[in-house]
Amino acid sequence: MSTSEAPILRDATALPARPAVSPFATMLRQFGRSPAGVAGAVVLLILILVTLFGPSLYGIDPLDIAGMPFTPPGADAWLGTDYLGRDILAGLIHGGRATLTVGGTAALITIAIGVTVGALSGFFGGAIDTALVKLTEFFQILPPLLFAMVLVTLFGQTLTTITVAIGVVSWPTAARLTRAEFLRLRNLDFVKASRAAGAGNGHLILRVVLPNALPPIIVSATLAIGVAILFEGGLSFLGLGDPNTMSWGLMIGQNRNYVLDSWWTVTFPGAAIFVAVLAISLIGDGINDAINPRLRKRG
Amino acid sequence: MNLLIHMTRQLANAIGLLLAVLILNFCLIHLAPGDPALVIAGEMGGASAEIIAALRVKYGLDQSLIHQLWTYLAKVATGDFGYSYYFNEPVVKLIAHRIPATLYLVISALLLSIVVGTLLGVISARRPNGWFSQSVTVISLAGYAAPVFWTGLMLLLLFGSVWPILPVNGMSDVARPKTGFAHLLDVGQHLILPSITLALVFIAQYSRLARVNMIDALTADYVRTARAKGLPEYVVIGKHALRNTLIPIVTVAGLQFGHLFAGAVLVETVFSWPGMGRLVFESILRRDYPTLLAVLFFSAVLVMAANIITDLVYRLVDPRIRSGAR
Repeated sequence: MSTSEAPILRDATALPARPAVSPFATMLRQFGRSPAGVAGAVVLLILILVTLFGPSLYGIDPLDIAGMPFTPPGADAWLGTDYLGRDILAGLIHGGRATLTVGGTAALITIAIGVTVGALSGFFGGAIDTALVKLTEFFQILPPLLFAMVLVTLFGQTLTTITVAIGVVSWPTAARLTRAEFLRLRNLDFVKASRAAGAGNGHLILRVVLPNALPPIIVSATLAIGVAILFEGGLSFLGLGDPNTMSWGLMIGQNRNYVLDSWWTVTFPGAAIFVAVLAISLIGDGINDAINPRLRKRG
Repeated sequence: MNLLIHMTRQLANAIGLLLAVLILNFCLIHLAPGDPALVIAGEMGGASAEIIAALRVKYGLDQSLIHQLWTYLAKVATGDFGYSYYFNEPVVKLIAHRIPATLYLVISALLLSIVVGTLLGVISARRPNGWFSQSVTVISLAGYAAPVFWTGLMLLLLFGSVWPILPVNGMSDVARPKTGFAHLLDVGQHLILPSITLALVFIAQYSRLARVNMIDALTADYVRTARAKGLPEYVVIGKHALRNTLIPIVTVAGLQFGHLFAGAVLVETVFSWPGMGRLVFESILRRDYPTLLAVLFFSAVLVMAANIITDLVYRLVDPRIRSGAR
């Protein structure tokens, strides 16, 4: 009797980690049915490819003086030049690399901190939960962008500081979301079964509960990339960008005083940020629809 | 009575959190690279070794960290947030001077976004797949993705050079100062572009939220009952469904006060609006740490106040919570 029970219980532990049909395959198929989501993914892919291969195809250095200052878009420079005579198109191609890297990395930091805090808080409850909820609340009363400005001003204007600062100030949303999911899941039968089968807390958090909490976290992570890109733009706009690395935000920040005389210097980099964030939020919406069929029906 | 206990607890919590912000400020200054005495000397425009040593004694930098923290908190308790060497004024005075302009901007943008956002959401919920609803969805996606400082610059371009019908700079016409009602009108005109710019981001979010909640409300039993009673459609929507749509919007709006404030920093910089945001920009340029940290603290106070007010409004508006509290 006892020998036949053991394998069943072990299966209970393994079940959530290896479901019969992968939820991600289902999600991906559903995502494919959302035209807006697919369009967003295609646009983002194009942007990534341009920033990866563009610099070697378009031979102008974004920091070089390529022509007369304030050359309007035309034959000399397709998208014009800025106040120093630097090529705007070169800035867009090279700057995208920094902007998208900062966005992606900062979002990773945001999600890493948020999921860790939220998971521990929701899983253990009690005093740990109380303390971590207080911590989250504390970070929520500091306006995130303002807090990031203070951090970058104090610790230096490098791409690393900017990335870390954005990650450090934006995690509370992810933490609250993860906590709510863990609170909902931790007392469900499959978690109890795994616990009864002798699974430790680490195994339960990482292999049992987390995979089931992932879908909303993925949506939140996607949107976090967009928010981080907007933050990088905002910081650079205020003069807190890394002056040694071209980025879309930096282009706007450095040219904004001349906007009335040279519309192209800020319009194009801003449009680039706009398109990138729009693509990312379309992807986020697409994923959200794919995992919430109820929302899809409501149109 | 329960409400009183609840508010007291909220207030105690707020004070605890604000104390934590002060401790964070203190830690930030000490964690930041560079000797605070050198930083202060730098703000003053450079100083000799003796003066730096004197500064160290004057600001208690030769004392233990705990002792310094205590001195800092004691000073803050008397309303002393330090002195801005760049503006040559106590920081508190500087901020008090700038708060009204920021509040005009933030509150007008908040009201604008709630009213317009709700209106757009409610109208589009009537026909969720109609052309109006589709365009609101597109506009709200665009409003969310456009960086607020860029929208501001685009509006500045439009109304500054292409079609100059609105002022794009400052808070009032400096060349022709006015008094009384004319002055109010002048400020109002200057407020139009900054508040629209700031409101756009939030209109995008609230119209989405209003649309989803309204669609939910329109299928709810109480709406069906109201319709079955033969109430006219505007009463069904305006009185029954709208109330349940507004509650989540007001809640989210209150919780987003911090984002609104941060957005104001960018918008004020674009339109040279003389508020706290513009002060942040100026103190970043001058590396004016005391001002910057004090603004961070006071913005936390504003966020905290907004949270408490939201909670109170929420309790007054939502009968379920009210009866639960009694």
